[in-house]
Amino acid sequence: MKTPRVFQLTALAMVVVSAVQVGWWLLDQHSQTADKVLEMRHAYAAQQAAAQALLEAGTAPARVQQLLPDMRVSDGRAALDPQREQALLTEARHRDRQYAWEGGFFLFALGLCIAVIARALRAEARVLEEQDNFLALVSHQFKTPLASLQLSLETLALRAPAPQAARTLIDRMLADLARMELMVTQILESARLERGRVEFKAEPLELRGCVARVVAQLEERARQEQVTISSAIEPGLYVASDPLALDLVVRNILENAVTAVQSAGGGRIELTAHAASGEVELSVKDSGVGFPPADGARLFERFTRLHPTGGHYGTGLGLFIVRRLMELARGRVRASSDGVGKGANFVLTWPAAAREPQP
Amino acid sequence: MSVANVRVLVVEDDPHLAAGVSENLRAEGYEVASAADGEQALAWLGANSCGLIVLDVMLPGIDGFGVCRTLRTQGNNTPVLFLTARGDPADRVRGLESGGDDYLAKPFHLQEFLLRVRAILRRWEWYRSASSTAATAVLRFGGNEVDFRAFRARAWNGEAQELTEKEAMILKVLAEHAGEIVSREDLLERVWGYDVFPSTRTVDNFILRLRKRFEKDPAAPRHFLTVWGVGYRFLSEGEP
Repeated sequence: MKTPRVFQLTALAMVVVSAVQVGWWLLDQHSQTADKVLEMRHAYAAQQAAAQALLEAGTAPARVQQLLPDMRVSDGRAALDPQREQALLTEARHRDRQYAWEGGFFLFALGLCIAVIARALRAEARVLEEQDNFLALVSHQFKTPLASLQLSLETLALRAPAPQAARTLIDRMLADLARMELMVTQILESARLERGRVEFKAEPLELRGCVARVVAQLEERARQEQVTISSAIEPGLYVASDPLALDLVVRNILENAVTAVQSAGGGRIELTAHAASGEVELSVKDSGVGFPPADGARLFERFTRLHPTGGHYGTGLGLFIVRRLMELARGRVRASSDGVGKGANFVLTWPAAAREPQP
Repeated sequence: MSVANVRVLVVEDDPHLAAGVSENLRAEGYEVASAADGEQALAWLGANSCGLIVLDVMLPGIDGFGVCRTLRTQGNNTPVLFLTARGDPADRVRGLESGGDDYLAKPFHLQEFLLRVRAILRRWEWYRSASSTAATAVLRFGGNEVDFRAFRARAWNGEAQELTEKEAMILKVLAEHAGEIVSREDLLERVWGYDVFPSTRTVDNFILRLRKRFEKDPAAPRHFLTVWGVGYRFLSEGEP
C-alpha cells in the first residue's frame, strides 16, 4: 500500500474514533444531567416530607417555611415551590440544549470529514481500478496483432515460402502493423480526450459538404463490399463543431456502418439530416449486422467490441472517441438496433449554427 | 499413429492468427479444421473428432475455459492446448484446472508452439497405444478395476469413479512400472511434458487423489507408496 493511502486511512480512522468519542461524551453529559435532576428531586422530596412532618407536628407554617425555604405551605400541606421546580427544569433543559448544539456541531463536522475522506478514497480506488482494466485491455488488444506478426515472421524464417505465399504473409503483417498503429493513435487520442487536453474550435460548418467529402473517400471501399451509400441531406444545414472533429466523427460512424453492412454480405446505408429546435440531427441508418438492443449505450464505452469475428478489426475505441468528441461539441450520439441481423441506426446531434458562408 | 492422419481443430477468433496457425500445422502434415468461436467449436466437435484442440481463451461468447469444461463434462477427452493473451500464473492454473493439457501465452514462438503440439500428441499416442490391447486397457488391483479407455473405474467398495486424463495417465505410468520406483520428475515429464507446472508438488496432489479413490485407508496406502525423497512405487498386489 502506498504511503499517502496509509495516511488517508489513518486520518479516516482517527476522525471516526473522534466522532464516536463525541457521541459518547454527549450521551454521558445527557445522562449526568438527568442524574442530577433526579438527585435534586429526591432532595426536594425529602424536604417536602420533612416539612409535612413538621406541619403535622404542629409547627407554624411560617416557621416551616423559614426552616425549609424551598417549600411553600398552603392549607396545611407542604409542596415544592413551583419557581424552584421551574428553575430546576430550565437548568436541565439549558444544559441539554447546550450539549446538543456543541456536540451536534462537532458530530456534523466530523461526519463531513469522514464523508470527504471516504469519497476521496473511493474515487482513488475507482481510478486505480479503471487504470488496471485499461492496461489489461490495452495489453490484450496489442498482444493479438503482435502474436500474429511474430507468427508470420517466424513462418517466413522457418519455411522460406514461395513468393505467392510470402506475399500473403507480408500483406498480413502490414495489416497487423496498420492495426497496431491505428490502436496507438486511437489510444493516445482517447487519453487526450479523457483528460480534456484537446483544442476544440466551434465554428459553423455546412453538414452536407462535410458528409459528402467523407462519403467520397469511402465510396471505393463500399462499392467493393456491395454497400450502397445514399445521402439525402438538404443544403444549408449548419452545425457548430470543430472541422476535424466533425470529419472524424462522421468518418468513424460511416466506417462502422460499412463494416456492419459488409459483414451482413452487402446492403445499404442511408444518410438523412434535418434541423429541429436549435439542433441538427444526422441519422446514419444501415442494413448491417445490427446489435442486441440492450447494447446501445455500451457501444460507446471504451473497448466494447460487439463483432470480434468475421475479419473486423475493431480497436474498441472508435465509438468511444466519437462520444467524447460529440460531448465536446455539446452534441450527442445515440445508437439503436432492432436486434442482431436487423441493421442499426446511429444518430448524431449537434447544436445548430447560424447560417454563414464557409470561409 | 503418424502425424499425417492427426486432425487438429484450431479455435481462434482473430482471422490472421487462425490462418497463420492453421497454415503452419498443415505444413507440418496435420489435417486442420478451424472455428471462430466457442459455439462453432462445440458444434463441430459434436459431429467430428480430432486429435488435438488449439483453443484461444478470449473468444466471443463462451470463452476457451468454458469450451474446455463443457467438453470434459460431456466426456470428451480430446487434449487441449490453450492460447491466450494473458499469461499470468493464475490464468495458467485456471486453464489447466478446466481440463487443458498445456498453455501458451501470446505472442508465442512458432517452433515452441509446434513442439508443444507434438509433445501433447506424443503423450496421447503413448497413452492410447499403452491401453490398446485387452490386457492393457484394464487394470485390476486390490479389488479396484480401472478402464483406461473409458476413463472410468470401479473402486473396491463398488463406487463408480470418473478419472481425469491426468489421473489416468499417472496411473498408467505407475502401472507400467509396477513394483519399480518412479520419480516425481519422471511423472511430470511423462504426463505433463515440461515446464507447465512450476513444482513437483502437483504430482503429490494427484497421488493423494488416487489414494482417496482406490485405497481402503488412504492414510495407510498399500498400493500407492511414497518412497521418501525419490518418488512413488505402485504395487498391484498391495503391500504385504
